[in-house]
Amino acid sequence: MSTNTATADPASHRLSDTLREAASKYGLIAVLLALPVYLAISDLISKGNLTDLGNNLVLGLSNGAIIALVALGYTLVYGIIELINFAHGEVFMIGSFVAFGLWGTFGISEGMAVPGMIVGLLAAMIAAMIVCGGLNVMIERVAYKPLRNAPKLAPLITAIGMSFILQNVGILWRGSSQASVPDLINQSNDLVTIGGVVINNGDVLAAAVTIPLVFLLTSFINRSRLGKAMRATAQDPDAARLMGINVNTTISMTFLLGGMLAGAAGLINLLYQTSIWYFQGFQAGLIAFTAAVMGGIGNLKGAVLGGLIIGCIGQLAEFRIGAEWTAVVVFAYLVLIMVFRPQGLIGEETREAG
Amino acid sequence: MSTPVETPSTATGAGKARTLLATEQVSKTFGGLVAVNDVSFEIPERSIVSIIGPNGAGKTTFFNMLTGLYKPSIGRIVFDGKDISRTRPDRITTLGIARTFQNIRLFATMSAVENVMVGQHARMKAGLIGSILRPPKVRGEERSVRDKAHEMLSYVGLATRVHDELAVNLSYGDQRRVEIARALASDPRLLLLDEPTAGMNPQESDRLTAFMRQLREERQVTILLIEHDMKVVMGVSERITVLDHGEKIAEGDPVEVRANPLVVEAYLGKQG
Amino acid sequence: MSNLRGLLKGKNNLVVSLVALGVAAILPLFFDPLSNLTNNFILAAAFVVMALGLNIVVGFAGLLDLGYVAFYAFGAYTIGWFASDHFSSVNGGEGFHIAAGEFASNLPGIHLNFLVIVVVAVIITGIAGMLIGLPTLRLRGDYIAIVTLAFGEIIYRFAVNGDEITFGEGYKLTNGRQAISPIDSIDLPGFAPFDSAFSLRPFYWFCLVLVGIVLLVNFRLRDSRLGRAWIAIREDEVAAASMGVPLVKTKLLAYATGAAFGGISGAFLGSYLTSVNANNFQFGFSIFILAMIILGGLGSIWGVAIGAILLSFINTYFIPEVFNEVPRKIGLEFDLTILNFGIFGFLILLVMVLRPQGILPERRRALELEGVGAGDAIEVRAP
Repeated sequence: MSTNTATADPASHRLSDTLREAASKYGLIAVLLALPVYLAISDLISKGNLTDLGNNLVLGLSNGAIIALVALGYTLVYGIIELINFAHGEVFMIGSFVAFGLWGTFGISEGMAVPGMIVGLLAAMIAAMIVCGGLNVMIERVAYKPLRNAPKLAPLITAIGMSFILQNVGILWRGSSQASVPDLINQSNDLVTIGGVVINNGDVLAAAVTIPLVFLLTSFINRSRLGKAMRATAQDPDAARLMGINVNTTISMTFLLGGMLAGAAGLINLLYQTSIWYFQGFQAGLIAFTAAVMGGIGNLKGAVLGGLIIGCIGQLAEFRIGAEWTAVVVFAYLVLIMVFRPQGLIGEETREAG
Repeated sequence: MSTPVETPSTATGAGKARTLLATEQVSKTFGGLVAVNDVSFEIPERSIVSIIGPNGAGKTTFFNMLTGLYKPSIGRIVFDGKDISRTRPDRITTLGIARTFQNIRLFATMSAVENVMVGQHARMKAGLIGSILRPPKVRGEERSVRDKAHEMLSYVGLATRVHDELAVNLSYGDQRRVEIARALASDPRLLLLDEPTAGMNPQESDRLTAFMRQLREERQVTILLIEHDMKVVMGVSERITVLDHGEKIAEGDPVEVRANPLVVEAYLGKQG
Repeated sequence: MSNLRGLLKGKNNLVVSLVALGVAAILPLFFDPLSNLTNNFILAAAFVVMALGLNIVVGFAGLLDLGYVAFYAFGAYTIGWFASDHFSSVNGGEGFHIAAGEFASNLPGIHLNFLVIVVVAVIITGIAGMLIGLPTLRLRGDYIAIVTLAFGEIIYRFAVNGDEITFGEGYKLTNGRQAISPIDSIDLPGFAPFDSAFSLRPFYWFCLVLVGIVLLVNFRLRDSRLGRAWIAIREDEVAAASMGVPLVKTKLLAYATGAAFGGISGAFLGSYLTSVNANNFQFGFSIFILAMIILGGLGSIWGVAIGAILLSFINTYFIPEVFNEVPRKIGLEFDLTILNFGIFGFLILLVMVLRPQGILPERRRALELEGVGAGDAIEVRAP
């Protein structure tokens, strides 16, 4: 750009744009930090230490890891076809159901030898991933593909229909009340204590499954042919089609990947929460969607970051305000973010999200 | 930006036409990208003025600022003595600026008449309660708005038998007509036409050119035109402003602009 | 010519409306005044009011509101607060009464006449509609859906946990799942007090009047300055704004009008069911109402009314009374009632994929669903 402008200085308004952008981004960060900082100060005043906060954050990060896996499914699908896959939370729920249903088949029970249990759980997880991946692909075929040329709200409505159908599958499968499942990994066993902050078995499990999966997924999308096709389709489906990319297959594969992650999350959730319920997917889905939006929907790193943050916020709200208000806090954050910073923390990697 | 608006007489020099719209050093940036940079220009009342420039020169962005769809990053836009730089699009329409779009944006599932009735929205009064209770005043307004819509459609040359046809079913030429009628329905003092002859054959373009003159004579409308068809531009405009890369590179009457080496370079450079 | 046609169409519509309402009014005379069928008619009528309210938001203005249950809740709590003994020690235990009717006039708590309640409910839900609509104004369709859903869920949680929130002389915000009950019955000036132990017919006829009002409002608004502005916004916000349609005001009016009918119907249901229970305000209810609109035909007034009646009867009659035993007959160990939301979900899916324009399509919406106009216009950055 030439600099022959006499009076108006382009640099100055570029600066003001930058400032506004920074204000909106750091404003969001400030709002996110407000709750933990407030709690930290009040803890320091009343108890003189930050042990509670530390414990909350550890639990929050573990919760957040599970949320992140579900959030990745939202973000992958939104990134590629700009659809909020409302049934995704239910796919996660089905993942839990499948995994739990297979415990008996794989001979998994409390008090069995550790190596056997690891092999069994791994098998159950893979099975849940396959079922959920397939289910998600089927959902796309049945409920979204026929509406690809309809107004954008049409597939969102069928997605809600699908979500209700799957919830009812859950009711038929295991009834309508919440049930507890055996605590296989002794999840609340204190493994390590650092300065009063406890890390237990469940936390280690959440990290041990999530980190490799996220790493695998990102490197798959960055390196593989299919990953490249996905990114190309996300950028511009028509151009991708012209370049010889099979857009339908690519979309199906995206749903497959998202569903697999939800399946894995389903198993971890089972072990971590030691409970199972047909309704678990609805709230988890909304929370994970909040996470995806918070990070910047369409952005993989954002979904993970958002998941961890929302996990911590949820945990803090549950511990300090009461579990019955957690959803209110999370949804309030959802509204705030969608209204004031719809592009999220990191912003979009793919298409315009705001 | 506290400088007062220049008085019309000094602006045009001629002293007879006052300035209807003026932009003062207007710029628009998107992120880091400068789409319009420091453009000042004026439209004298009851004139026909054009903005030309190669693709991506910032013409439509400029239009969008005049109609309030974008707010200028810096600079002022003054319409009829009022600063409209931060005014909402619908308020700007109420003040007297109407537009058409480069790629026709009619309300596809509404009939031609209904489209033009929407164009009169700002001139109507019926509110929520009035619309529900429909007192005689509202009925009367509705009737006169419908009559005026038919009148406008006939004025732009739409055959009566297609007045109630859905916009989506109209021919391309008729859609352009309806769009102009819809814009005129708000009784604008300034009409912005964004490439109105796109997709028209030479005869149709000629007819539209004549129609623009007729509009000015009969309805006292000032017209600002974005146009690619040089024959139309040179034929109808009294003044032409040339944008390139978001900046004003030339201005003047058709003869001056045609002779300006910068303009030639901008166009040829684009091709070469 | 077209004026004449418009008038004729209007007259026809009036005739159809009057005949339909007339037939509906005679209907309960064929059944026992306390029959369960009359109860089903009443619920169907109340849902028609809600569905036609939501139709203004979703069908006319094109704003996908997934949190409509919030207005049901606001309407229901309006009557819960102001026509029961919830605020029992108001006025030193004497209570506060406005034309409350013979029975309620001697009770503690606030007791307003139902007509006053309707006015209050319209005001409260209208304002709530605008407040919830406000943050969505600059958002695109799918984000609007999620934000309204989130609001709906927030209101639901407040309803459920409202018994933890106390103020004044130990008053609870809500009674949560314990429900605020009993609620005053409807007592209109010039009519005998409604008594559900004696006859359900007055409730039905009253609700039918509400249906008449909501039909009138729908028809009038559809063919008005505002109705055209809503279609314009739905199809192309940028073009609409450029034609002089104020986006904020026009959208907020849609939210407020739609919300008001949710509130009226909510207040009516609160009185008819004589209790206001937080359990009724779940997300599923929003989808129940949305499904009526989709089934009937987005934006189609008669279609939505038919969709509402149909789904209401599926919910209150066909699932629990006609087909409930079907699973057991084929050897499955469950009642069909536990699957009602799955059935609604399935209906939504089926209609959307096979006949997105619904039972009785609205001309414009049918075109839009085929991909004409609407929705995918170029986005202009929010100013």
